[in-house]
Amino acid sequence: MNTAQMQMRLKQPKPFGASRLWTELSILFRIQFALIRDSWVIVLLLATMFPLTTILFMRFFVADPTPEMMVQIIAGNMIFGVIIMGLNSIGQEISMQKHQGHFTFYASLPILKLNFVAANLLRGLMSTVPSFVLLGVIGYWIYGVNLQLSWALPFVMLLSLTSIVGLGVCIGFWSPNQQLTSMLAQLLMMVVTFLSPVMVEMNQLPKMLQWLSYLFPTTYAADALRTVLLHGWTNGVMLDCAMMLLYSCLTIFIVNRLVSWRV
Amino acid sequence: MSEFVYEVKDVSQVYKKGKTMVTANDRISLSIREGEILGVLGPNGAGKSTLIKQLVGQLKPTKGQVLFCGEDIIKHTRSAASLVAYYAQEPHVLSALKVHEALAFTGRLRGMATRDAEKQAKELLEQFDMADWGGKQLKQLSGGQKRMVGIGTALIGHSPVLIFDEPTNELDPKKRRLVWQLIQERNREGATVILVTHNVLEAEQVVDRAAVINHGRLLAIDHVSTLKQKVDQRLKFELTIGSGRRAEAVAALQPFGIVQESAENRLQLLVEKQQASRALAFIVEQEELPILEYALMPPSLEDVYFHIDHAARKEALIS
Repeated sequence: MNTAQMQMRLKQPKPFGASRLWTELSILFRIQFALIRDSWVIVLLLATMFPLTTILFMRFFVADPTPEMMVQIIAGNMIFGVIIMGLNSIGQEISMQKHQGHFTFYASLPILKLNFVAANLLRGLMSTVPSFVLLGVIGYWIYGVNLQLSWALPFVMLLSLTSIVGLGVCIGFWSPNQQLTSMLAQLLMMVVTFLSPVMVEMNQLPKMLQWLSYLFPTTYAADALRTVLLHGWTNGVMLDCAMMLLYSCLTIFIVNRLVSWRV
Repeated sequence: MSEFVYEVKDVSQVYKKGKTMVTANDRISLSIREGEILGVLGPNGAGKSTLIKQLVGQLKPTKGQVLFCGEDIIKHTRSAASLVAYYAQEPHVLSALKVHEALAFTGRLRGMATRDAEKQAKELLEQFDMADWGGKQLKQLSGGQKRMVGIGTALIGHSPVLIFDEPTNELDPKKRRLVWQLIQERNREGATVILVTHNVLEAEQVVDRAAVINHGRLLAIDHVSTLKQKVDQRLKFELTIGSGRRAEAVAALQPFGIVQESAENRLQLLVEKQQASRALAFIVEQEELPILEYALMPPSLEDVYFHIDHAARKEALIS
């Protein structure tokens, strides 16, 4: 190809059709998936152990819990698992990719950044879903509470994951260095888990934290999950889902538009 | 219509490191012609990699402009990525993939059809003598093998512009020769190649033109032969002397030119062209001195590199 033909290609790049987008996303996902292919047991343990021990601890700690309290604990720990994987692990993993020069490789290819982000999101989902389900099953078994198995459960679960994973992706992309990312991700993880209505009910928190917690997607995720597990699909769940959808779109938009990897 | 693949126009790159401003590139201007192999030479920290990142559109210059086929690369980074294959380092990013996956996936991300990407990945592995390693994960390979796969990721897809950053580091001599052969082969097929390397002696066999960079400045850019002519017109004899006879040899050779000791039993004799035949006759015919081996060496690209770098340092000291 000579210079003139290259110039033509620059000015009129090949159109990006749906099939090209799908190919790109599936390959990028396979590259991301390969990273956890050999260590899925560790990934699962990491996402499960912390919330699982919290569930067990609360079982011994709380005497005669009401069904609402039991669901609060089960749903809270399911969301805690999502936070560990989606915010902490994915944030640190993307930061590692950035600082080890992986972006240099990806940016040298004619791919859309949105697809790279989506591949990371999918990987986050892949890592989180097993622990999410496992915690639900174990929580149900330990507390023996009668949970509603609503059609809305997978939908709420998916939105919880995408809204929270987005936070991890953002932290990873913006990371100035790996140490800071690690500290920031862990700090945020503790704040959103224990100082927002994930493990406890909203009215148990001080007023200031109640207001602050409206900024975190985990508040809506925990509320939606609790309500779905107790009553199935309600208008309140719909509102929570709308908020989570907004968070998912917002984080993807921010990463795609404001974070540059080429220049 | 631009006749150049790249035009770098007065490009500078300044960044903040702590409280100080560091100049990575300082007013670099150069053009790269279609179908040539340009070697970018310079010591560590000279600004070579910064220049390359500007060429592939991963770094926006603080000042100046990089034109790719006449167009500002900053405005066309993704389209340019479909025309420029860049080998930056060993592909840690793909380390969890199997070798054939790493190659074929990269080809497909460059827009190749699945069948073509698979076929080319297989061909490359055969060329690399790594056909049996296709099913292994990259992380199971040696450093040299990983580097070969990395080079393969740049070669797959037959991009019209190839940029390699230190492609032969960590490779054994056989693999290094293979890499240079492949680069020349792609160049004969029409690819423009930009090559960053420390290995000046090997690069000399491959490059058409060389750009010497140090302290972020372009010190020289020209055809290798032209650069050599600018350096030193003297001829250089490389001599291996029998042990314990060095002082005697130095004394005997001094009338012909400048004698330099390059190692324990090795000497370099620099002679003016008009003295060359007399010096050669002495070396060949003498019987007293145990000269075990001798060779007449033209100035190498390495000599050019050191000469230009030395001259630039001297100039900096004076100014």
